[in-house]
Amino acid sequence: MTLPTTPLSLVVNGRQVGPIDVPDNLMMVDFLHEYLNLTGSRLACGQGVCWACTVMLLDTDGAPPREIRTCITGAHFFAGKSVRTIEGHAERDADGNVTALSLVQQAFIEHFSFQCGYCTPGFVTGATVLIERLKREPVARADVESTIEAALAPHVCRCTGYVRYYEAVRSVILDTPGLVVG
Amino acid sequence: MAKGMSRRGFLKAGLVSGVAYKIAMLAGPARADLVETPASRVPPWVGADGKARFRYDAVAKVTGDKTFGRDFRAVDMAGWPREQSHAFMVFGDRADHVFEGIDLSVLGAAADADHLLPDRVVMGADLVRDGVLPPNDADGLPNGFYGDVFLVPAGETPRFLGQPVALLIYHDFSRYDAAKRRIRFDTEVVRWGARTGPNTPANYGTGRYVRVGGDRPDDRDVYSPLDGTTVYGRFDGDRVVWPAADEAGDATARAMWAAAELDREIAGAGDDVLVLRREHFSQSIDASAMEADNGLVWYDLVTGTLRAVLGTQSPYETVSSTVAMFDKSRFRLTKFDLSIGYTVGYGTKDHSVFPFFAVVAGLYGQGRPVRLALDRFEHFRTAMKRHPFWMKSTLVVDRTTGAFRILKGEYRTDGGGRRNFSPEVSLVGTSAAQSVYYFPKSDLSVASYASRAVESGSTRGYGTLQTMTATEVLVDAAAAELGIDPIALRRKNLFRSGMKNTQGAVPGGALRNEEILDRAAAHPLWRDRVAAKAAFEAANPGKRYGVGYAQVQKDYGCGAEAAITTLSFDAAGRLTMRQQGMEMGTGLTTAQAMMVSAVLGRVPDTCDYGATRFPEMPLVSNEIPYAITQAEQDRLAADPHWTPSYLSAMTASNSVYYVGHATRTAAKALLALSLWPAAVALWSRGPAGGQLAPLAVTLADVRVVDGALAGGGLEPLPLDRLAATAHDLGLVTGVSVHTFNRWKWATASFDVPGVGPTTLPIDALSVQYGEGAPPERKALMTAGGFHFLPRTAVDYPETALNNAGVTYYTTVGAITEVVVDTATCATRVTNHHSILECGGQVVPQLVSGQLQGGLAMGIGHALYEELPLYEGGPSDGTWNWNRYRLPHAADVAVWTQTSEILPPLSDTDPPKGMAEVVMIAVVPAIINAVADAIGHRFSETPITPARIREVLA
Repeated sequence: MTLPTTPLSLVVNGRQVGPIDVPDNLMMVDFLHEYLNLTGSRLACGQGVCWACTVMLLDTDGAPPREIRTCITGAHFFAGKSVRTIEGHAERDADGNVTALSLVQQAFIEHFSFQCGYCTPGFVTGATVLIERLKREPVARADVESTIEAALAPHVCRCTGYVRYYEAVRSVILDTPGLVVG
Repeated sequence: MAKGMSRRGFLKAGLVSGVAYKIAMLAGPARADLVETPASRVPPWVGADGKARFRYDAVAKVTGDKTFGRDFRAVDMAGWPREQSHAFMVFGDRADHVFEGIDLSVLGAAADADHLLPDRVVMGADLVRDGVLPPNDADGLPNGFYGDVFLVPAGETPRFLGQPVALLIYHDFSRYDAAKRRIRFDTEVVRWGARTGPNTPANYGTGRYVRVGGDRPDDRDVYSPLDGTTVYGRFDGDRVVWPAADEAGDATARAMWAAAELDREIAGAGDDVLVLRREHFSQSIDASAMEADNGLVWYDLVTGTLRAVLGTQSPYETVSSTVAMFDKSRFRLTKFDLSIGYTVGYGTKDHSVFPFFAVVAGLYGQGRPVRLALDRFEHFRTAMKRHPFWMKSTLVVDRTTGAFRILKGEYRTDGGGRRNFSPEVSLVGTSAAQSVYYFPKSDLSVASYASRAVESGSTRGYGTLQTMTATEVLVDAAAAELGIDPIALRRKNLFRSGMKNTQGAVPGGALRNEEILDRAAAHPLWRDRVAAKAAFEAANPGKRYGVGYAQVQKDYGCGAEAAITTLSFDAAGRLTMRQQGMEMGTGLTTAQAMMVSAVLGRVPDTCDYGATRFPEMPLVSNEIPYAITQAEQDRLAADPHWTPSYLSAMTASNSVYYVGHATRTAAKALLALSLWPAAVALWSRGPAGGQLAPLAVTLADVRVVDGALAGGGLEPLPLDRLAATAHDLGLVTGVSVHTFNRWKWATASFDVPGVGPTTLPIDALSVQYGEGAPPERKALMTAGGFHFLPRTAVDYPETALNNAGVTYYTTVGAITEVVVDTATCATRVTNHHSILECGGQVVPQLVSGQLQGGLAMGIGHALYEELPLYEGGPSDGTWNWNRYRLPHAADVAVWTQTSEILPPLSDTDPPKGMAEVVMIAVVPAIINAVADAIGHRFSETPITPARIREVLA
């Protein structure tokens, strides 16, 4: 038998994908894993509470990117849209090899922010969305910590207790011109 | 092969019972080279200062590379079919009715065009028919270790709630996904028959440590487990029957006599002592490793080849147990290729039954690879839990001096429906109950029960979190009763260097409990707590402020630690390391390489982690290191190929010290047996014995400085030049060491060609000779390209040390500040400070991260995490992180928390395992802080708002 499917086209990490016949009820995380073999967005809870599976939804109109949970969002929600998964944050050469990390990724590795790394893609996504927002809406220095708390609050980490993630994000914010006012 | 050798005895040669096997790590080294200078000889994750700039695996993990086993599909595996199937299990939700079968009508009828019926249904009867049973007899695992069936056969009552009853296999993902979602919460799929009552296995085991010290700590013990024995009772139903007491009897009888004496002393205690009795309960929790259990298995029916991608902390055991499983089945196994992904389990993926379920799925895949990847609901159902402990403690304290006289602990644990390591966890927890105190007399016993609960097993802390929490809360209660400052009472009773633990063993090295206590006492959080409480509560009506302290010590290692490291270099100086260490997230791959750097001044150019085939180390073992008698050990040790154990799983915080011992010793051996002789040869060249002759320089004088061997005023010699020289001269150019530790290191002597008699803290040594070695010497390199050197003498740790419990401890103290909101009844940790003593740190950032992560987990145990054991518990398939509260950043004082780590006493202090201890002290510290805040000392965790409300009402 076959399940009802609908052709899906979208942009993933700057590349046009599709149209691909995708079951109507398939979750985005499963589409990424099983149809595109992009397994970096991690499935952990499957109900949208740990944020390990998030991707960036990019807005072509210049609005800041949004962090979307792919385990509770259907693949077809992304039809015609553009997303960045964890595989799309670093710069890569033609063979897909990493040539440069993003600021957030670099900060995370230099701060030894993670151990097992299962939650890392979600933290990279969440922190990057925050940085992109702050580029448009800088915050006062006194609000940096609470801004980070609010932005990353739902993300679950089981190994390193959040401290090194938060410190890394703070360092990116403070070291990047234009993100802090006053 | 000696009589009685186990399957693992064969495993060394890459054969288990005639089955060729191979284990390999899936993920290669980090892609660090791609973000740094590709041409650099030094791997770029190491900075110019020789220190790790980031983790060895950092780039791979931060860029979303496939690293976890869960990331891999058949299409990612070279040589595998591209077509892959998917499987999920159907679970029963009863353990007191006969399982009759499953009804898949919810998935439609076969005639329906849109049905979701599986392509293959596997039932318990299929497995029984095919002889596919859990591997309970491999590697000396006790009967029932993994349970008696994989899937409950129709007509039988499940052993425990949530036991799987069927396996459904789909050849395409979309139907699998749709069917799984439809069945997930459907309670009508499983059909039940008559009510039978429970069908739990027999209770798992008991144990008792009784010690009566002499008048002073240094005096000979009147009785101790080390000199006598650990006592084992038996079950009469659910009642524990301990052996009879007899002062003149055997070791067991005398232990029971000593226990009775302590009972009499407690019963007859006078007014001069405080006899404090308390009960404490530590709950069942799920370690919630973010990577849920998963496996991808391809069984080739034609060739009998099994290929698998699994996440496990114990790959060697997985291999030998899988082979044992096949032995009893109708399936033929000729070859087993096991690929291991990075994983994380906090202990729960050590000797887990899950990998074997994945193998079962593969067996019935009709020749296609089958992926069995649990979702979180399923993982809650199946993953091993932390043992719940019910603890009764009696503390006898001298009212005048504050000195502890007796600790009596009576503990009960629930291991659920599969045995796993329940007795072992229970015993280790019991052996740790003393926490950081010296007790002149102690009687600590435990009974490990079976039940219809989801099984409990190896989980971070291994029973010690539970018992030490009880003791630390008890000590604070005693301080309150006696009117003594809690830290002052601790100071009076500290476990100090050279004292005996409750098993009668003297821990290795210095115990620095007092330093930690001093720092805690002087810390502002503790020192100013009274004033801070008054000020806070005055400023925040309705909120109560409290500060608590606890200090614990945790053993590391399992008492039979075995490891292998092979280090060699080529003529160009390229250094290669092979070892069995696997990355569980803790940073092993980073730290082990840094240990080589600490000795040789550079990290290996190539690291092969997770290795299990060491043809250069051709040893055999009967793998009974805990049960072997002294006489048998002495007899077997005469065979230079014998070792008590070949390789250990990654468990018990064992990587940095034990696996690291093999690495450090291999590096030192390479320095002593290879680089030093090469340097001597170069320094001796020239007239009159060269530049070396006028000097008195020994190996102890040399150091690696800026990539060159220097010392004693001699010309520094670059390592590359030494490597070339060693090869030219045919010196040793590679070493492989096997190490064994039973709370003490095995040491052995070897006659190393070209070097002479050499004694090392290892039990086996192989060496490789350079390219210029004479043919007759090269001809000796028959063991995987190495020359296995039969030891000329060996000193194994005595078997009595199996009763020592432990001799290696890492210590942490935690001061915790909490605020209890009397309106919401929520407890919030607002600050905490930890003081850790862990020897010499290898990579401080990894230690710090481990500490911070452990603290978060401890906070979760103390305040949030809780699972009902039976009906309504994780077995019912409705548990996930929406209702199981994990600590988030807002819960852990993420910006305010601080820590300090005691500097090592010398630069030769070895690193200590610290992955478990760091999560423990904060638990009782929070309980004690809440007591300070609201005046009630909780006797159970977690301290939920509901429990606070009961107290404040």
